[in-house]
Amino acid sequence: MSDEPVEPAIRPVGERDAEPAVRRVDPDDGTAEPAGEDELPPVSELTGPERRLDPRVRYQWALGAVIGAGVVGAIAAVIGLFLFDDPVTFGGGAFGLLAAVGLVLVVFRYRVWRYEVRTDSLFLERGVVTRVRTVVPYVRIQHVDVSRGPVERTLGLASVVVYTAGSRGADVTIPGVTPERADDLQARLKQLAIVAEGEDAV
Amino acid sequence: MKLHPLSVVYRTGTAVARFAWVLVIGVFSTSQLDGLGAGAFALLAVAVLAVFAYQVVYVRRFDYELTPGTFDLRSGVVSRRTREIPYRRVQNVDVSRNVLQRAFGIAELRIETAGGGETEAQLRYVSDDEADRIQREIGRLKRGVSEGETDPEPETTDELFAITARELLLLGVVRVDLRLLSFVTVLLPIVIPSVSETFPLLDLYRAAPVVLGGLVAVALVVSSVTAVANYYGFELHRGTDELRYQRGLLQEYSGTIPLDKVQSVSVTENALARRLGYASLEVETAGYAPGGNGEGSQSAVPLARRERVFDLARSVEHFGEVSFQRPPRRARTRYAVRYSLVVAFLTAVSVAVVRFTAISPPIPALSPLALLVVVPVAAHLKWANLGYALAEDHFVAREGFWTRTTRVVPYYRVQTLVESATAFQRRRDLATLVVDTAGSQGFGANDARALDIDADRANELRRELEGRFQSALAETRAANEGRRRRRRSSARGSTPADD
Repeated sequence: MSDEPVEPAIRPVGERDAEPAVRRVDPDDGTAEPAGEDELPPVSELTGPERRLDPRVRYQWALGAVIGAGVVGAIAAVIGLFLFDDPVTFGGGAFGLLAAVGLVLVVFRYRVWRYEVRTDSLFLERGVVTRVRTVVPYVRIQHVDVSRGPVERTLGLASVVVYTAGSRGADVTIPGVTPERADDLQARLKQLAIVAEGEDAV
Repeated sequence: MKLHPLSVVYRTGTAVARFAWVLVIGVFSTSQLDGLGAGAFALLAVAVLAVFAYQVVYVRRFDYELTPGTFDLRSGVVSRRTREIPYRRVQNVDVSRNVLQRAFGIAELRIETAGGGETEAQLRYVSDDEADRIQREIGRLKRGVSEGETDPEPETTDELFAITARELLLLGVVRVDLRLLSFVTVLLPIVIPSVSETFPLLDLYRAAPVVLGGLVAVALVVSSVTAVANYYGFELHRGTDELRYQRGLLQEYSGTIPLDKVQSVSVTENALARRLGYASLEVETAGYAPGGNGEGSQSAVPLARRERVFDLARSVEHFGEVSFQRPPRRARTRYAVRYSLVVAFLTAVSVAVVRFTAISPPIPALSPLALLVVVPVAAHLKWANLGYALAEDHFVAREGFWTRTTRVVPYYRVQTLVESATAFQRRRDLATLVVDTAGSQGFGANDARALDIDADRANELRRELEGRFQSALAETRAANEGRRRRRRSSARGSTPADD
């Protein structure tokens, strides 16, 4: 399962963000921006093509699926032991089935997951059973977190969490990005939010 | 500014009342032992004195001030806290007074901002007049008129709505909570067999309607009393930039809803109200739902004629006449299938209960199948009440049969757009588009959505809404910029604009 070939064709090769192209935005209308904000690169430098997650995220998800299946399997084993005096068939069966389903879902989830830093908004597409497409306008971004759990740290991954004032709160998480990419994404989203002038986020 | 001196007395009273049970137990248990009674009373007196002393210090050390740009608050006995709330961030200013507070002539004032479930500033307690003054001053200062300066746009208040006695009574009927009834209906068939040995079964079945009737009557009385207590004397006024409401019989509430912070407006009409031609209006700001102390008490207009409610809604958000688009007919098929599955499940449970337990109801186990007759009707009603519309500046969505809610979201207030399709929806080429706003109602409870629309249409609608959001944003920004420039040129030389 885990040795499925990575499809490099779809991943963009050119890391446009390698050199931070800093350019001054001319204060044209006399309303000079406060210091520090005038070093924003133009929006076109910040946006990027549609991207997929790092393939290693599959290991992270697979681990989650196996652990979940393990817990249910253990419960099934106990039930099997008491009801039919046969923990192995029940526990093993439940574990095997759930793990298999979970791992298949992992593969599909990875195939579906996409995100795109567009001109005006962040766009995400994800979900196997329920396909979800989310649009987050940059003006609405409250703050952006980068988080790294223990498994993510082991795999060399990170997640970017985008918060809005919407009632769905922290619904917008991009998992499975490299730490460098996560930091870069955080910085870009921050700059895009500033460019979008989120003066009235609520 | 300081709190009202009488708040010391009131605060001591409530603090002591909160621990009254401890005192009562203490006094009772010690009075058993002779000679300790006097000691217990002394202890009680000391405790009350200590509470009183604490409250004196609290009130003395509590200080608030209305500066030109912020509302400042300094409080705390042991750890001091200083808080500055910019007026621009204030969402609501609410005043409430219960019977006792009214007797004392004091009121509680709360200031809410967006974010956090907590009240940002709570003044317990100030005099009635002071509460009124703070409410007005904050409204005035928010418009950028500094203290002392005369208001260029003097405050005008128009009464938008005042509840009539008839509406108040109707509200009790319409809001009646029959959840208890459904609970009893489920419980009755389970209880009856177990008591049927002591009482003849027939009598209980005959008694059941009486019991249910009684319950309905009780529910009606409870709901009427609640409605009268909460909404007695309800009035809604329109100020320069805000709505003002007041309501309440025993506990009086008054509050402000700033119009420039309104996130969405919704009109709610349950099946009964709809039949009678009535509806209620809710206005949501990001701070919280006004008067949000529990469910159902957050309406901007609790109950009025349907046309009146829509007129009021239009005066808050200027959406014109809307013609709703319904989801495709295959969505209706989907609901029919879903409800049939529910009926099948109920039948299975009923069969299993009869088969494996001693309960034997007087009706056949397969009788839930009779519900299949209403499935097409239910599916149609669910479908027929769904709809969405793109007005000039607003997204409007309607859903629900039992409680039909029409939500109006200005494009400018969109937070995120979420297009989703479950495996079952994809099978029929359907999708749901959720338009999320900065609501306070917690997890997506109040989101406007176009449910089960055609998948391609959902995609198109998402792009369309995004485009409309961006242009609404640009428009508002241009308008704000213009206003700021005008203000700056008019106030040249004097105080700079607050941002």
